[in-house]
Amino acid sequence: MNQTFKKETFRDDYTFSNSPEAVKRFPFPFHEDEYMYSVNIEPHVKTAVGSITEFTFDIDEHYVAECEDKAITLANDPQRYLCLPHMMDAQWDTLELMMESMSNDYPEQFNLTKEGDNWTWVNKPLGITTKFVFGDESSLPMEPLEYIGRQVQGDWVMLDQRDNNLFADGAIVTSQADWSLAIDVGMSWQEWHGPVPIANEIGVFDRALKYLLNLQLGSPVRRLNWTMTINPRLDTSPENYPIWGPDRLSVTPENVGDKVHLRVELQTLFRLPRSNGMLFGVRGYLISMNELVTNPLWAKRLHRVLKGLHPELAEYKGLSYKDITIDWLSKYDDGTSSE
Amino acid sequence: MERQYWIRSKPVYTSLLWHEKATAHLVIAEGDGGMAVLKLLQQKYPTQQVNGFFVKSPNALKNYADIISSLAPAEFKVFGNTTEALNSLKITLADCCMGTCFYVAGSEGFIWQVAKVLASVGVQDDDIDKELCGTLARTVYCVHCKAITHDAHHSVVACSGCQRQLFIRDHFSRRLGAYMGLMVDAEQPGILPSIEEVYP
Repeated sequence: MNQTFKKETFRDDYTFSNSPEAVKRFPFPFHEDEYMYSVNIEPHVKTAVGSITEFTFDIDEHYVAECEDKAITLANDPQRYLCLPHMMDAQWDTLELMMESMSNDYPEQFNLTKEGDNWTWVNKPLGITTKFVFGDESSLPMEPLEYIGRQVQGDWVMLDQRDNNLFADGAIVTSQADWSLAIDVGMSWQEWHGPVPIANEIGVFDRALKYLLNLQLGSPVRRLNWTMTINPRLDTSPENYPIWGPDRLSVTPENVGDKVHLRVELQTLFRLPRSNGMLFGVRGYLISMNELVTNPLWAKRLHRVLKGLHPELAEYKGLSYKDITIDWLSKYDDGTSSE
Repeated sequence: MERQYWIRSKPVYTSLLWHEKATAHLVIAEGDGGMAVLKLLQQKYPTQQVNGFFVKSPNALKNYADIISSLAPAEFKVFGNTTEALNSLKITLADCCMGTCFYVAGSEGFIWQVAKVLASVGVQDDDIDKELCGTLARTVYCVHCKAITHDAHHSVVACSGCQRQLFIRDHFSRRLGAYMGLMVDAEQPGILPSIEEVYP
């Protein structure tokens, strides 16, 4: 694969944009004209060439710029990486899974060689070569999850399984849709999903937990989730809410197309072999309304989904600019079928 | 305050009840938590060993230390402040065995300080009985500057670290023993909602 990586930013001057190819492969999450939470989990199997699930971990045109943005966020707030001490086996599990998958799937970009426990990792896009001893923390410049998490797009949470529950006991989180790792680290499944409206009441989380507790090694699963973001900003954390919060009020009928972005999360879950823990990935994809309406069916469907969205979901997702966006999208909806 | 839904990380506190099946009992209370201890003492007293720790508080309605000392069959160690009590607790914990039951009563801030000490020797949150007494005052963690603000009584509190006005969300971190505090006027600086005393 000959991937070129864009030079772009996700803060300040916000030069991020999608190429036509990236728009084409964007994971549009709505399969009907309305949306409600469901247990929409499916096997994380490889799909068509060029799609975002062609490989286990998707490395796309935004890879280098996203990793640079991640490094800025971590430099400003080192606590975006937090891990409880009992998770070290899970950290090595995660590093192994990511290095093996990436080097197998993108051999021109990543290379992993092993001589016993002496491993050499080469990441060409980021210009990294590291020799280390697998299982020996002192041989890496930082803990394994932070080391590899900085080199993979998205947020990565490690779950410990005990007492028929899952605990978010370690993570690297730099592109979250408004949840705080400092608050949530160590929380049980029910606690960290506590703030989500409706889904608790309709039993979605209880059913999903029951399903996930039986997740098998080698059979990862995935689902899509979505929200909206003003400006192509990855770091919409509660920590920096004073920085990005005011942007919500900057939306006008004239700038909806540029400012309002649909943000889709490809969430993946992998059983980890040594720790019997789980790796939970939240990989975000951003698309501006201008880019989105280049696909007429998406434009129509998003218009209808937003119009019918349950008010509690809209409030939870912080969509105070929803009505302006619906008005703007209405000119792309002639009322005909969105199938 | 209308509650359309509740956040499941918000701890739910109950009344203390002796567990009959236990190898020993450890009771740790502060201030108005003395009332919870007195209620325990009205129940059928355990046959196993009971260790008690009590921290006096000037804010408590009564001098519970004296009442407990005169009523309790076991000795309750009485302390003038929480730090001394927790240090003494740590020494006692070293001699505790599997099957010990833990009972904690007092303000929310006190309960989670004790829970943190118990967690350090491997006692899980689910295995600690907790009764909230005297006050609903909250401990708040500022997600912006990471400072802790104690004894918040209102729906919005000024952060002790960065002075931002924080909305106190019901989302509770057991690790931090604190609720999530989020700048309330981030989107429109200076525009504050009505502030109510909701945690007297």
